[in-house]
Amino acid sequence: MRLGRYELTLEPRPAVSAVYTVLTAVVAILLALALSSFLFLSADASLLGAYRAVFSYAFFNPRGILATVQRAIYLLFCTYAFLVPLRAGLWNIGLPGQVFAGALAAFAVPFVLRAQEAQTLALAPGLLILLMVAAAAAAGAMLGGFAGLLRARLQVNEILVTMMLNSILFWLVAYMIKEGGPFMGATAEGEGFTLPAPLTAPLLRGVPFTAALALGAAVLLDLLFAKTALGYRIRAFGENPAAARYGGISPVALSLLVFLLGGAFAGLAGYHAFTAVPGVYKIPGNYGFYGDLAFYGIISALIARGSAVGAVPIAVLFAGLSLGARFAQGALHLPFGVDYALLGLLMMTFIASHALYQFRLAWRRVPSEVLQPAPTELPEG
Amino acid sequence: MPLTLPADRAPTEPILAARGITKRFPGVLALDHVDFEVQAGDVHAVLGQNGAGKTTLMNILFGLVQPDEGALYLRGQRVHFRSPHDAIAQGIGMVHQTRRLVAAHTVLENIVLGHPRVRGFLNLRGARREVEALCNRYGFTVDLGARVWQLSEGERQWVEILKALYGGAKILILDEPTSVLTPPEVKTLLAGLQALVRDRGVTVLLVTHKLPVVMAASHRVTVFRSGSVVARLRTGEATEEILVQHMIGREVAFRTADRSAEAGRPLLHVEQVSAFNDRGLLALRDLSFSLRAGEVLGVAGVTGNGQEELAQVLAGLRPVTSGKVRFADRDVTHLSPLERWRMGVGYIPAERIEVASIAAFSLVENTALNYHFDPAFTPRGLLDDAGLDQLTRRILSAYNVKAPHQYARARHLSGGNLQRLILGRVLSRRPRLLIAHLPTQGLDVEATAFVRAKLLDARAEGAAVLLISEDLDEILSLSDWVAPIYEGRFVAVLLREQADSETVGAMMAGLQKEAGAR
Repeated sequence: MRLGRYELTLEPRPAVSAVYTVLTAVVAILLALALSSFLFLSADASLLGAYRAVFSYAFFNPRGILATVQRAIYLLFCTYAFLVPLRAGLWNIGLPGQVFAGALAAFAVPFVLRAQEAQTLALAPGLLILLMVAAAAAAGAMLGGFAGLLRARLQVNEILVTMMLNSILFWLVAYMIKEGGPFMGATAEGEGFTLPAPLTAPLLRGVPFTAALALGAAVLLDLLFAKTALGYRIRAFGENPAAARYGGISPVALSLLVFLLGGAFAGLAGYHAFTAVPGVYKIPGNYGFYGDLAFYGIISALIARGSAVGAVPIAVLFAGLSLGARFAQGALHLPFGVDYALLGLLMMTFIASHALYQFRLAWRRVPSEVLQPAPTELPEG
Repeated sequence: MPLTLPADRAPTEPILAARGITKRFPGVLALDHVDFEVQAGDVHAVLGQNGAGKTTLMNILFGLVQPDEGALYLRGQRVHFRSPHDAIAQGIGMVHQTRRLVAAHTVLENIVLGHPRVRGFLNLRGARREVEALCNRYGFTVDLGARVWQLSEGERQWVEILKALYGGAKILILDEPTSVLTPPEVKTLLAGLQALVRDRGVTVLLVTHKLPVVMAASHRVTVFRSGSVVARLRTGEATEEILVQHMIGREVAFRTADRSAEAGRPLLHVEQVSAFNDRGLLALRDLSFSLRAGEVLGVAGVTGNGQEELAQVLAGLRPVTSGKVRFADRDVTHLSPLERWRMGVGYIPAERIEVASIAAFSLVENTALNYHFDPAFTPRGLLDDAGLDQLTRRILSAYNVKAPHQYARARHLSGGNLQRLILGRVLSRRPRLLIAHLPTQGLDVEATAFVRAKLLDARAEGAAVLLISEDLDEILSLSDWVAPIYEGRFVAVLLREQADSETVGAMMAGLQKEAGAR
């Protein structure tokens, strides 16, 4: 854009410091909150009261903060499930399907071992819980690996395959838990059976042990990518598949591996959501909501730019704001869907902030020779 | 219809002329005061090696590139093409080396696409009648309803030619039209072009580096070398030998390879290897040779004759359809690239940026591309950052790579510096077989000399070197054996002493000759 003798240009930014990265994230959050004030205009309370309701429930209310943590753990596993294939340049859009596969596998363990009642446990509860975790991860990995294998061997687009698997798994869950299905609950209609108390995930200070898994995985994943030969191969493949192949990295093995690993994390998300969150301990009738929520893993992986540790605060923020906005919606009679609208705004400002990160606006003085009209024809000769 | 030439013009006046054209690209003088003329109704061949400037001139004639100096004349009138739009409006059409068609659309839709009359509403029925009439007139048989992806490469090329004619082209520029075609398709193409010229007065500009194509299909030929026109001939008065001399010049190649080194034992045997290229055409045809440790085999050829596929087959990146590769007394035909790196195969690909390096990675990480599998640099599965750092710094200093530091991104290196890094990285593995594909392409004189010296050092240390190059001087100055490659075969494998630039140049261009084969 040219204004008189000056020109406004978008220039690539050479390198970005960590401080600047955090600063753009903070600006994005503030901007999203400012924009969301339009949503609160119809609120009974003042604008300030609406914000206070959102934040106080999400981060300061004892019940609310627990819910925030539970949801953040879920989002984090979903984030890793997307992030690992992403580092290899592949897109795992199959998070809901892999979450459902993990949930079904987790519930299959007590079902198969006839441990649906606390009195009939065949094995020690600790062992059964371990089996459930392993089964959930394995089932998610298998579903992810299926897409990875098709991609690696036959160049079938992984986005299409995982999307279709999402739909298949959604209906498989419906079949399993609805009336007459194998996992049908004893009393409730349209819900899965409830886990016996000994098989629910152990709590540490009110928080399920999956929190430790999620935080540990964040550190291990970042170490994997930064320090190990395997992580190097994944990154090399993601940056330039042709160069990776030239350097002896097998595309088939690598595509399969990242999808196995990603799927396993989604399976763990499924385990966490349905067997570890106090008050749930079953596949509820509205399980589809968790499938939709899983997609926020994609957003937080993209915003964190591939860093698992960097995704932790983002997942916490998404979890807190979505719960807080839902609470405020009820408390202050805000319009329906305010929570999703807030997440949507946050997504947009985060993604817009990426432009700031790669480019900067610059004023340049236009050199005077450019301003002179160009000759319409070259000189004869 | 716009497909007949005005008859009132004397045949000697050029229909299209470029005068005093100069074009500079950063660091390269692509065209140096070139004068070029085309007579109406001719098939005019534009001959030259890669980088001779012929494609740049064609792009200028088509308005894709603006000349720095000089002017274009169409039928004696000064013209100025700001974009291909202007050129098309003046009746110039171009068929590029790579197809520019929408694969999922039909032939008819592709032909109509971009036509100036097509605005908003598409009258496909009317267009079909017009295109059918055009086909009948020229005797083309193309199924207008077929989808482009179903067509062979030769048919796709006809679609583009039809598209240009439908757009009103009277002058047709074809850039390397035969490079992607099978021999029968080439025959059909050349016959079709001659019919166009003979019966319809279309003028054809045929850019090529293949002598048989020039001899078979053109009326006149202009030979380019290093950005200048070196000869203008009537094809009838030329011979393939004369054209070769013009194309490669007469400079005497000076040898630098020291021939006193005793050649070692046979290390690599390639037996009757055939392989497809990415388009599914046979790129290597029953190719055989062997190579000893401490020898350089120079594969001389014009790009697109199977060189890249040969390098990839040897590196394990491309499967063979038949034949065998034996390396160090082992059948390696089906081994993966990784296993070959471990056995001591080193590969320097032609594509530095696309294949041999990772632009977003630091130089240390780029070094790791050839070391991530090496147990010495991956203790317990961890990358040995300190070791790689040290190795990279050693490579940077030993190979004169100009970089701010070893953690700079590869994308910030110039082509020459990147190539030094890649060369140093591959050679630091001390490969027993080194495959070097276009190792000095685009490098300046100093970097070229450096890379060549390092290749000879590797040879002196006992590596078998397969040097693939288009530069005859380079091949002749470094090689112990010279193998001109043409259409997927070695025309011969000559001892360096038996190879002179004219013989090899002729063989590269497809001229068969009896020679002492190995």
